[in-house]
Amino acid sequence: MFKKIITPFEVMKAPHNMALIAFWLVAVIGFWYLSTTGQKHLLPSPQSVLTGLGEEYQEGLVPHIMSSLSLCAQATFWALLVSLPLAYLSTLPLFRPVIQGISKFRYLPLTGITFYLATSPLISSGRAMQVGVLVIFMSVYFVTSLLSVIADIPEEEFDHARSLKMNRWEVLWHVIIRGRIDYAIEILRQNLAIVWMMLVTVESIVMSAGGLGTIIKNADRYANHGRIFAAQLVILLIGILLDYLLSELRYSFPYVNRTQK
Amino acid sequence: MKHEYKLGGTVLLVDNVSVTIGDKPIIENVTMEEHDVIRDGHNQGQMIAVVGRSGRGKSTLFKAITGLRKPTKGRILIPSDEANKPIEVKEGDVGFVDQKYTLFRHLTLYNQLKLAAQKGSTPESEIHGRVMELLSKWGLEKAKDQYPGHCSGGQRQRAAILSQILSSGYFLVLDEPFSGLDVGNVEDVKSMLRLVNASHELSTIIFSTHDIELAVELADKIYVIGFPSEDKQIGTIVSAFDLKTLGLAWQSYGKEHIDLVHDIKKKILAS
Ligand SMILES: Nc1ncnc2c1ncn2[C@@H]1O[C@H](COP(=O)(O)OP(=O)(O)OP(=O)(O)O)[C@@H](O)[C@H]1O
Ligand SMILES: [Mg+2]
Repeated sequence: MFKKIITPFEVMKAPHNMALIAFWLVAVIGFWYLSTTGQKHLLPSPQSVLTGLGEEYQEGLVPHIMSSLSLCAQATFWALLVSLPLAYLSTLPLFRPVIQGISKFRYLPLTGITFYLATSPLISSGRAMQVGVLVIFMSVYFVTSLLSVIADIPEEEFDHARSLKMNRWEVLWHVIIRGRIDYAIEILRQNLAIVWMMLVTVESIVMSAGGLGTIIKNADRYANHGRIFAAQLVILLIGILLDYLLSELRYSFPYVNRTQK
Repeated sequence: MKHEYKLGGTVLLVDNVSVTIGDKPIIENVTMEEHDVIRDGHNQGQMIAVVGRSGRGKSTLFKAITGLRKPTKGRILIPSDEANKPIEVKEGDVGFVDQKYTLFRHLTLYNQLKLAAQKGSTPESEIHGRVMELLSKWGLEKAKDQYPGHCSGGQRQRAAILSQILSSGYFLVLDEPFSGLDVGNVEDVKSMLRLVNASHELSTIIFSTHDIELAVELADKIYVIGFPSEDKQIGTIVSAFDLKTLGLAWQSYGKEHIDLVHDIKKKILAS
């Protein structure tokens, strides 16, 4: 048994895997308790985190969560609206240079854009500025990943569509757009992690619009570790939930195998 | 016994074709001419095999014949609707089944065939009936609502062949249709190809294979593609065997077939 769990690529039975997960959960929580017992704490104690969570709840944690989710949804919506057509248009020679150029913008620093948008007379509200920053970043990563999905499609798939007398637009539709929609969702899922993290940062820059970032920033101000920790945990759990929902959405396509990466 | 046959019009002319990819010449001066084979009392199509060692350009030649890759030099002609007016092949004119039996991953087998039929000559009102008929004739009825990712290799291959038949008609190019199949599947594919071949007078099937026995058993013409010499590593036709003139076509496999296999293998090894 012990030998098995330290053998590379060894496949375990489901109950054994559950036991391993339980073991690690207990270990992490145990470590947390232990690390908060001494004089100098590495982490805030579970009690202080719970208290922090309670206080945050009283101060409107749920509306803040809703505000963050709505910001995330708006940014995702606009980013998809921008990047999907851009990626699909990258198959046209006319647009290829521009779109490949856009993908390079992921090396642009966040702060500069945020600063620019915050001072731009075109952007009226704090919320609009937050959406703007996130859309720019999401689109840039999204386009990059989509370009690589398109580049990875085997030539045979294009040949198959062409051999069925499809014109180029139909090939684009069947092979790239419909044929890779589940990949687009997977990319969204992977990039959401970056966006979710960035969202908190953006929210803590413009605090007026509320959101989870505001909560962290507030807790930070009073150096209340329990509250910071509680807010972090909430953000983490919501992030994991979003991740789970998107992966379920992807598997809801009947032709996607669960084992497939 | 040697079977009587006559030759009709040209069904395929590969006229001095060269293909260069990037600046690397892959095949050069390939010429093939195929005629309609006419036998009394038979709906006789043509069955052509292309053999040769790996990397000699079989797949490249097939992409040119199916119009998927334009030859750098030369032309490829097929008959058009008008008599004596051959046209240059373009993508979609000739069916192509690649070695991986590629299908659309997001469509069920039924929907694949329906889409293919909409691209072909079947009138809209008859598509459902025709697709269902083919599905059951080829043993795919039970799998009709499955996606390619959940089908066996054999099922995918049959669906890929049917897609091409529905969209392009009876001129089919198959790249290594026998590779990776078990003994039973090989027999299935053989009878499928014979079925397609006998279904239409102008039916023409071109396939590549590394199984020379199988090529000799099925084909009535065999081309060997290889390098002409040690220092010229560009694929071209190095020999052609017409099993019809040799009296070996449409016969049961015998001693003379075995001898021919031997000859062909020698040619392949030398190129
Ligand atoms: N898209 C491509 N770009 C560059 N070289 C290519 C391309 N396609 C094929 N080639 C080269 O052309 C040569 C012939 O390839 P091809 O696939 O036609 O051979 P083949 O006879 O079908 O081989 P096999 O029996 O292994 O399938 C090979 O050297 C291959 O590397
Ligand atoms: Mg090949």
